[in-house]
Order: sequence, then C-alpha cells, then structure tokens
Amino acid sequence: MGNLTDKYCIVGVGETPHMRPSNRTTLSMACEAVKKAMANAGLEPRDIDGMTSYQAGDSTSSNHVATALGIRLNYSLDIFGGGSSTEALIAHAVGLLEGGYCKTIVIFRSMNGRSGRRMGGQAPSGPVPPTQAAGDQQFYMHWGWTTPAQWFGMSAMRYLRDSGATTKTFAEVAVAHRYHASLNPKAIMRAPITIEDHQRSRWVSKPLRLLDCCLETDVSAAIIITSRERAFDLKQPPVFIMGGTARTMAPSPAWNYSRPEIHYVAGNYGRNRLFGMAGISQKDVDIISCYDAFTFTTTIQLEAYGFCGKGEAKDFVKGGRLQIDHELPSNLSGGHLSEGYTHGISMVIENVRQLRHRADDACPRWEEGIHTYDRKAGCRQVKKARIAACLGWGTEATSSSAILRGIIG
Amino acid sequence: MPDYKKPLPHPTPASRPFWEAAKRHELQIQRCTKCSAHIFYPRELCPECLAPDLQWIKVSGKGSVYSFTIAQQATHHGFAEEVPYVIAIVELDEGPRLTTNITGCKPEAVRIGMPVVASFDDVTPEMTLVKFRPA
Repeated sequence: MGNLTDKYCIVGVGETPHMRPSNRTTLSMACEAVKKAMANAGLEPRDIDGMTSYQAGDSTSSNHVATALGIRLNYSLDIFGGGSSTEALIAHAVGLLEGGYCKTIVIFRSMNGRSGRRMGGQAPSGPVPPTQAAGDQQFYMHWGWTTPAQWFGMSAMRYLRDSGATTKTFAEVAVAHRYHASLNPKAIMRAPITIEDHQRSRWVSKPLRLLDCCLETDVSAAIIITSRERAFDLKQPPVFIMGGTARTMAPSPAWNYSRPEIHYVAGNYGRNRLFGMAGISQKDVDIISCYDAFTFTTTIQLEAYGFCGKGEAKDFVKGGRLQIDHELPSNLSGGHLSEGYTHGISMVIENVRQLRHRADDACPRWEEGIHTYDRKAGCRQVKKARIAACLGWGTEATSSSAILRGIIG
Repeated sequence: MPDYKKPLPHPTPASRPFWEAAKRHELQIQRCTKCSAHIFYPRELCPECLAPDLQWIKVSGKGSVYSFTIAQQATHHGFAEEVPYVIAIVELDEGPRLTTNITGCKPEAVRIGMPVVASFDDVTPEMTLVKFRPA
C-alpha cells in the first residue's frame, strides 16, 4: 500500500444538470456545482482553502469562482486538459493536503461543451474558421484529421484487426452504459438500446458509429477532498482515496502513431502503480468508471488495466458483464456515452455516490442510503459497492486513474 | 489555388526541409548520423541517442498501411465535399510512420497492410502535400 492510502477522502460532490444548451456562463455553472458540493459535504465557503480546475481554453478559473462564492484560497491552480485530468487532480490534491498547502480542496470542471467550444474545434453555429496547422498540427490538420472520433478511430481500426474483435464488442459497451442511464434521472439519453440499434446507427468515422460516440453537453461538476479526520465530522459517509496514477504516459506520447502498437495504451504502464499503491487486485474491484469518450476507449482500458488479458475484451464484455447486477458494472451513471460529457469528473462523482450507497435514483429514500435494488422501479444502486476503480483516458498515450473505497454495502 | 479551403501546414525550422522537399516532389525524412536511426516527425535531437546531428535523406516513398479510418462526416468545412475520405498511418519501408490521406482508390478498398506509394499534391503554389495511393 502507498504511504497515503486511505488518508484523504472525497467528502462532497455536486453538479449542474447536463444541458444542451445551457444559455449560461461557465462561471455561473461552476458556482452552482461548487455550492452544491459544499452543501453535499456540509461545508461552508470559509472551510474551503484550495481550488483546482481543468479546461481546454473553454472555461472560467479558480480565482473567479472563489471570488463569486466568498472563498479565500491558500492554493489554486487551473490546468490544461480534458479526459484524464480529474484523477490527476485527485492525486495532486492528495500531495497538496499532505504537504500542508491547504486543508480542504475543490476540483471543478465547467464547460459549454455543446453550445460553446466543441471538441475538435467545430463552432456551434456551423463551419469552423480557417485553422492553423501549426506545431504538431502541421502533420494532422490538413488531412481532415480534426476530431477525436477520427483520432481514436485509427487506433480502433488497428485494434479490431489485431485482436479479432468486431464492432459488436463496442456495442456491448454502448448497451451497458445506456442501460445504466435508463436508471439515472440526470442522464440525457435514457431509452435503452440493443446491439442491433448500435449496428444500425450511422458511421461517423469507421469503425466508429454514432452510438460509439459520447454526447456533447453544457455542464459543471465539482468534488471536494479533505483529510479523513475532517471527513469523519462531515455530512456524508467518507470515500477513501486508496491510490492512483496521474497522467501516466506511454512512450512517444506526442506522436503516438510511431509506437509499435498504437492501441497498447497508457493504462498498461500505469496499472501496476495503481493497484500496487492501493494494495488490492483487479478481483477486489466492485465497480468501475472506464472512460467512455467512445465505446472503444472503455474496451481497450479493460485490457490495459488488467481486468482481462490483451485482446480478450471481445469475450470479456459478452453476456452483459459490464451491466449492473453482473460481474463488473461500468459507468453506472450512463457515462459520457449516455449521461453527458464532462471530461471525466462525472464518472468519479457516480462512483462516490455508489460507494456511499447513495446513488441518486428513483428510490424514495436514497438520500438515507436505503434502496430497493428493483431495476424495473429505477434503482441504480449496486448492492455491494465497496471498491471503485476510476480509469481516466486522455489519449491512447495518456491515462490517469484512482481507486476509491467506501465503508457501506 | 487561392480558394483552397483546407488547413495548410505551418512549417517550423525543424520541419521546413520536409516541406521544401515535398515541393520538389521528393519524400525526405531525417536520419541520425551517429546511430543511423530513421526519424519522423522532424525534430532537433535524435530520440534514440540524443545526437543533434540529423541529416535529411531521400526515401523510397514505398510503404504499407498501418491503420486508417474512413471519415464519413465532415468535421471541417474544407472537407465538406470530400466525405467519405481516408485518413491513414503509413509505415515506410525505412521504418518510420507518417500520417496521410489515401487517394487513388475507393475508401472501402483500403486495407491494413496494403502496399502504397507516395504521391505529391501541389495544393497551392507554396505547399505540396505528401499523400499515398495503392502501389
């Protein structure tokens, strides 16, 4: 186990609705998310003295949010990045708290991911302005290689060829995450889908179809971390941080396409650190959030983080294994494929709720941790959810992760 | 072609020889004078041995498709009339991999492992792109 395993806890979570469009500023949404996370933890603005966020040139910053909410910070930092940032900032927070830089820290993401800046740079109202293919982009942009579906489509194509998987493997992921969204009142896409629905959906960038792609949403979400001693006095059952990795990289991360296998992703390099620090094995994990920018990213990370062997995901995902009440429920909120798109933080929030035994589902007494486990009645709570693995993804060559532990269930 | 609507590369000091060679319809990549590694993308230090002495050499332009994706939906206005089009990684016979478009065949005909050869597309008076077509 790591020196700091179980020493720091996630004590508060909160978010705005997933909107398309929000008609709000990223500052307005961030304030709502942070205020809700404080209320969720039972903390006041004066209790918060650290704040970090991540963004892609599309958000507000910690100093604005702190000003609007009357928070005086001893530490703040706004970093650049999308997926893989949440777990990296959790690791960062643990280091800051241990070092005494601050006592209680907020991590937030706020983005108008649909109505503002969209991934790949497409403007909301239509065509993008002429884009400079400068720096690394001088070898990408002019090929019409401009969006994540095209970048990861390239790795997905080679993966299918090398592993013998088919796009039905991807379909299993889409179906599982959508089923979970059907149990999540907050999710945008709640109508269950079948393998056939997936196979019939239109191509976006072969081998990825529409139902392989995540949503684009306007949303803000926040989590609060503090020491376990403080956590015991707060409102919610504590969720302990057992271990993690922070933007672990494969070799040649800026030119992934030269690596011997472009789908041998960063998680392969991080998994022993992750499980070693947490002091557990994959078999101890009850639930996962496996980053689903695309169905492919979930698929490949099951292998990378060792939940199945290399090339074995095609068999592993069969029979609904990733669905609730099965062996390894994945993305219980519906994930980015079906709940909404936050660059990862909403997946961590769902795991926190599950570990507290307080999934915000249709059960009348969920806030007290009392659930029916009746899926037909809309219960989303996993019965035994003690350990969650959060498996973030930035690119094929960049990944962050965290293992969290609850004490209920 | 003043109405060329797609993004154009902006060469850096390190990459300028690549683009100047393309304009002469030559495919050039770097080779380390110390350890003989072939290198792409263009850079200032050999990633194998950190030697700064990289020389530009002409290569055959022959290779094979390592992977590809078929863009079915335009995500940039300059490509609106092109879909579907093929974006690919080509592994040169000399080893390094380039990103490119595959032209000269139907998108559905492209296969991993397919032999391809470089072709040169003079998209503006100043800029030539290195694409690949079936060999």
